[in-house]
Amino acid sequence: MANYISSINELIAKEISQLPNAVFYGENINTGSHISGLTRNFKIQESSVLINVGNCEYTHCGVGFGMMLNGATAVLFVKQLDFVLLGIDHFVSTYQNIRCHREPDSLGSFTIVVVAYDHGFQGPHSSFNALGDICSMARVPGYTLTNSRDSEHILHTQLRQPGFRFIALSQRLSPKELLQPELVHVSRDSAVFQYTEGSEVTIACFNFTLPEGMLLRQKLQDRGLSASVFSVNSVFPHDWSRIKQSVARTGRLVVLDDSKSINLLGFSLLHEAAEAAPASKRIIVTREADIDFGVSPDAFHVDYDALVFRLVSQPSRVPSVV
Amino acid sequence: MNAHPAESDRRLETEMIKLRYWQHIMNEDLKKKLFNIPIHVAFGNEAIAIAVCDMMEQEDQLVLTHRNMAYNLVRAGALKPVYDEYKLSPDGIAAGKLGSMNLANPARGIAYASSILGNNFSLGCGLALSKRVKRDAGIVIVTTGDGAIEEGGFYEALVFAKSQHLKLMIVVENNNHSMSSTIAQRRCDISVRKLCESVDVAYKLLSGNDVFEYAPALRELRRTTDADSIPVCVEAELSLMNQHAGPTPGWPTDPMNVDLRNGLVIRNAAEDPLHVLRETLGERVFEEMAAQVASEKWN
Repeated sequence: MANYISSINELIAKEISQLPNAVFYGENINTGSHISGLTRNFKIQESSVLINVGNCEYTHCGVGFGMMLNGATAVLFVKQLDFVLLGIDHFVSTYQNIRCHREPDSLGSFTIVVVAYDHGFQGPHSSFNALGDICSMARVPGYTLTNSRDSEHILHTQLRQPGFRFIALSQRLSPKELLQPELVHVSRDSAVFQYTEGSEVTIACFNFTLPEGMLLRQKLQDRGLSASVFSVNSVFPHDWSRIKQSVARTGRLVVLDDSKSINLLGFSLLHEAAEAAPASKRIIVTREADIDFGVSPDAFHVDYDALVFRLVSQPSRVPSVV
Repeated sequence: MNAHPAESDRRLETEMIKLRYWQHIMNEDLKKKLFNIPIHVAFGNEAIAIAVCDMMEQEDQLVLTHRNMAYNLVRAGALKPVYDEYKLSPDGIAAGKLGSMNLANPARGIAYASSILGNNFSLGCGLALSKRVKRDAGIVIVTTGDGAIEEGGFYEALVFAKSQHLKLMIVVENNNHSMSSTIAQRRCDISVRKLCESVDVAYKLLSGNDVFEYAPALRELRRTTDADSIPVCVEAELSLMNQHAGPTPGWPTDPMNVDLRNGLVIRNAAEDPLHVLRETLGERVFEEMAAQVASEKWN
């Protein structure tokens, strides 16, 4: 069975082979390990170009917006999410300027495909894992690839779509087998993917927590509880109506969010769910507030037994946070 | 100095006089506080702005800074659409959506304008790269200043443009001014020439504020970047003869005073492009042309 990174690489290679008049660029994109396998075996159309560029990430981000302004399709591949921090000026200011264009239909497409280094072994640097924060400050969509279904859908729809977005992969998931869950539903804005339908618990997985969410679902099933599992992307404004409807039915919501941020998008869902289903029991599982800033496994810990215990007890009117 | 312009061809000098007059109108109305937005007048930029616009071909794209008034006025060919934009009117160039510092006019070749120093270099590279990939005609011109070249994006853009064989012209308007500090007040000297040499980018220094010298020099440089697919860098020495933003004078005791009632020329020295023009044309011709421009209805 192919692992996460090689499977997604195959999907990306397939998509870009079909894109005409496009520019695919990035550092070490066609040399060495090809960004740890992310950009391997790229075959492009004659009208497209693939460019290996120097080490100037701020400029690469601005270049993408320039190409977009001229109606081109640009895809920038970046090894680490930390690197794109150098482009925040462009995400926030340049794109805001471009969005005021009087002929928005003439704008092209700009996508940054980037790996979140969420395994913790890079060192004190390079531990940034909060795609939602960048998306929030720039008010742009960001999509996390967590399994074969969302990867196929997001890569196929977004790489050719006008506008700007991030597509992020997880370094932590790279060596693991790529999940292939059944897909129940995708929201029209690709903000929400639903993988199971259950009647007792609603599980909303933010960032790269779908594997943990699916495991929680299995443990609940072992205790006789069925769960609806959703994976949520950073899309503004988002359509969370299906999740809220689920919470209204199940009366129990578990939010999982492994982002390293104090402004978690999951808190917004908790708030909206509280308004939609005030009597529901609502639990959010996040990283510990006291994050180890040194080299560490940086794992996202979920105490499944404690969670299951709390969920099988009677629903509470008081939201709780683990 | 170039040859004296023929009386039958007064296009450049007419544009120079119009541009200065229109900027005076803006400055006078800034004094009256008729605008709600910050506006950066560009007295002193006339020669380089008109030479750049004169050089541009139909498919060329211009990428500007926050001090873009001169370029926008010349490319629009009229004061009213720019004035209306500054008033945030729906009749403005961008329907009142962009204001002054980000004012672009794609229909007239102005693709983008940024109020963030150094932000526009990479965007210009992207425009030029898309032209290369799509085999579109034209070059991209990015204007900047002696303040913005302190940003790392300037060096990155030189490297990127050279590496990718981009038809890019960077115009450094060196007015020895960044907000309110001179170069000596804020940093060491930067040799743009040596910086360009280090990455093998062609460099040209323009000084003297003579539009009849600047225009042919820029046309030649444009031919070079277009024919050879290489970036070029132009440094134009000029003086900013107004306050950083808003009206001049900016306060009651401001030693810098600009008043349309004193005529178009602000300083009787080579730092004022209109003084240089008056010296070239002769006072009688200059004043006749100025009177003609002032008599034309602009609004």
